[in-house]
Amino acid sequence: MLSKLWAITWKDLYSTFTDRNLILIMIVTPLALATIIGVAFSSFIRGGNDVPVRDIPVAVVNLDEGAEANGTPINNGDIFVNLLVPPENVDESTEDNPLFDLTNAVQVADAETARAAVDSGDYTAAIIIPANFSAKLTYSQEHSIEPVEVEVYASASSPTAASIIRSIAESFANQIATGNITIQSTIEALIVRAQSDPAFGVLFAAASASGSFTPDFAPAFTPGENPITIEQQTVTGQAATFNPLILVGAGQAVFFMMFTAMGSANSVLEERRDGTLNRLMASPTPRYLILLGKLLGTLVICIVQVTALLLALTLIGSLLVGQLQFLWGSNLLALAAVVVAVSLAATGLGSVVAALVRTPEQGNIVGGVISMAMGVLGGAFISTDVFPEAIQSFSRLTINYWGTDAFSRLSQNQTDISTNLLALLGIGIVLFSIGLAIFNRRLNV
Amino acid sequence: MHETLVQVRGMSKEFKRSTGEKFFAVKDVDLDIRRGEIFSLLGPNGAGKTTLISMISGLLTPTQGDALIGGHSITKEPISAKRLLGVVPQEIALYPQLSARQNLDFFGKMYGMGTADRTQRIDQVLNLIDLKERQHDKVESFSGGMKRRVNIGIGLLHQPQLIYMDEPTVGIDPQNRRRVLDTVLRLRQEMGMTVLYTSHLMEEVQELSDRVAIIDHGEVIALGTVGELIQKVGEEDRLVFNVGDQTVPDALLERFKAEIPGVTSATYTRKAVSGEEAATDNDTEVSTDGVVTVFAKRGRSALPDIIRIANEGGVNVLSVEVREPDLEAVFLHLTGRALRD
Repeated sequence: MLSKLWAITWKDLYSTFTDRNLILIMIVTPLALATIIGVAFSSFIRGGNDVPVRDIPVAVVNLDEGAEANGTPINNGDIFVNLLVPPENVDESTEDNPLFDLTNAVQVADAETARAAVDSGDYTAAIIIPANFSAKLTYSQEHSIEPVEVEVYASASSPTAASIIRSIAESFANQIATGNITIQSTIEALIVRAQSDPAFGVLFAAASASGSFTPDFAPAFTPGENPITIEQQTVTGQAATFNPLILVGAGQAVFFMMFTAMGSANSVLEERRDGTLNRLMASPTPRYLILLGKLLGTLVICIVQVTALLLALTLIGSLLVGQLQFLWGSNLLALAAVVVAVSLAATGLGSVVAALVRTPEQGNIVGGVISMAMGVLGGAFISTDVFPEAIQSFSRLTINYWGTDAFSRLSQNQTDISTNLLALLGIGIVLFSIGLAIFNRRLNV
Repeated sequence: MHETLVQVRGMSKEFKRSTGEKFFAVKDVDLDIRRGEIFSLLGPNGAGKTTLISMISGLLTPTQGDALIGGHSITKEPISAKRLLGVVPQEIALYPQLSARQNLDFFGKMYGMGTADRTQRIDQVLNLIDLKERQHDKVESFSGGMKRRVNIGIGLLHQPQLIYMDEPTVGIDPQNRRRVLDTVLRLRQEMGMTVLYTSHLMEEVQELSDRVAIIDHGEVIALGTVGELIQKVGEEDRLVFNVGDQTVPDALLERFKAEIPGVTSATYTRKAVSGEEAATDNDTEVSTDGVVTVFAKRGRSALPDIIRIANEGGVNVLSVEVREPDLEAVFLHLTGRALRD
């Protein structure tokens, strides 16, 4: 059975990839378009590899009332503020903190003012540190560390910048939590040892009483000095840059792949018109296997097309900057998962369209209209960031949006693509099953 | 005693028109096809031949009834039944981007043939259809006749016990048509294959068939050898007289039957010059010829008397055609219509 399935798939792959006109439409056209747009942005690309993202306006609201640890007052919220907001009278250009370049953070007194300023567009995001921030995170013998929420109130109109700020906040929160857990673990270990080793206990008590026991926990709170630097690269490294070829290329790759999926799924109808489907069904091959083979062919064609486009875009990007650079991030497994998921979703949609229309000609028209509409809504031509919020909701219904967004995130080495994968796989599996079921029913005459 | 390869019992197929009205494309058909024979379904276009054959081959689900191929029910054990069946559809059902060999190879895989067996059979079939030289050329570069031959070759590839051929000579030139008919004869004679053949061309069916089922309006109206079917019309010759724009009175037609021994029927119709029948009385603009059709035993001996009586009745015969009994006459006799109407 598997050999028959593969034979059907292989036949479609062979027919597709030996057709020069199809190759032209599938690979060369989107590459040409992406390159033209890429070259239009080439001054950015040649200048410094990437277009820098700078001076993201951020409001920092520190409501933290502080806490006392072993008699010492601490305020973890201040750590947040000091890392983001440059001290007064300090020249940002000479200050050795890349965050001061990346963000333009200002301390704001209350949360409502900060939220209103984000709503009005004065800030991209507001980081609001709650009053009990230190209290929850501070360890003492009476109190363990508890979960606490830092609010990141972000503007929906600048998702990329908002995403960077969210990553920074997460990173700091992790850093502080890690630091406090380090202290908790250290002190607990000392107490356990003092209890089990009376001699050490006496020594430890004497050192504490004389003030000679002054452990330095500062590295636990200092980004870069702590070996556990969670998401630290996201804050200061590649995530803070963006290459126009990535956004345009990913958009075009998904857009043209949608056309391929529609056309390829439509080939079931063409086979029906030409009589080859009947001939296949007259052979001792189950009907579902024939349809599955055809749709598997479509899926593989889409995967090959997107992969080829991503590689070719990398080549073009490298040629433009004069050095080899892979555009799509370092997580190849996640990249492969997105390629498969976006191809599956497009194949699923193609199968439903092909199952619902009557003729290949109808399929071409309906498939073309859907691909075009999804392309426009999903950001193949213009970033969805510029759409009004109502339209952005519709964007999220498109395969293009989730696919392009996932590729963009991966190119910035962001790993939070689980929602994208879930959306694409969900769309793919549901539509694929519906298409297969309707087709099977239609052929059962 | 003949061994039966295909048994069709009570097979019907009901469709619904766009108006919602239901109709039977095939109605309550019973057939037995014997192993090793060429069995033809003859009928005009739209008679239900393709619908019947599609049900026998498992492409359509019958509304009622079933067909057994080599003892396997096409509705209950379709995979087993289809293994015994080779298909040559009416249309050229090939992949134009693939070569002749690739097409054969692909369908060989679909019939579960192993690599070695497939390679050997493809070579044999390419020789049989005389396309060894062009085996690696893409089918899209082939002529219509060559494509037809590949179309047939695919049906033969897995050496089926039964091969059905649905109007395989449609749209090809006389030379390639002859080639196809010779191939069909060789299948039976050299390979002992059972052939189920459909056509609306009486000459083909008459030449090829061991037995014929005549089908009209979805029903089998006659079944037997060509000889047996011709006997149904009493081995009468058909004499067709063209009388131009003259009218032939009924009294004259009655005289043919009454006075000439062997004449069994005489009818007068007007036919459009193009060969189509004059539509209606009010369609006076159409140029028509009067045609007298006479069925008679020993038609050639009756001919002088018919012409004499016609002259006595004031009718000049412009031309005469004598047709000996054939399947066309059988169909006409059974339905009152010509096969090509």
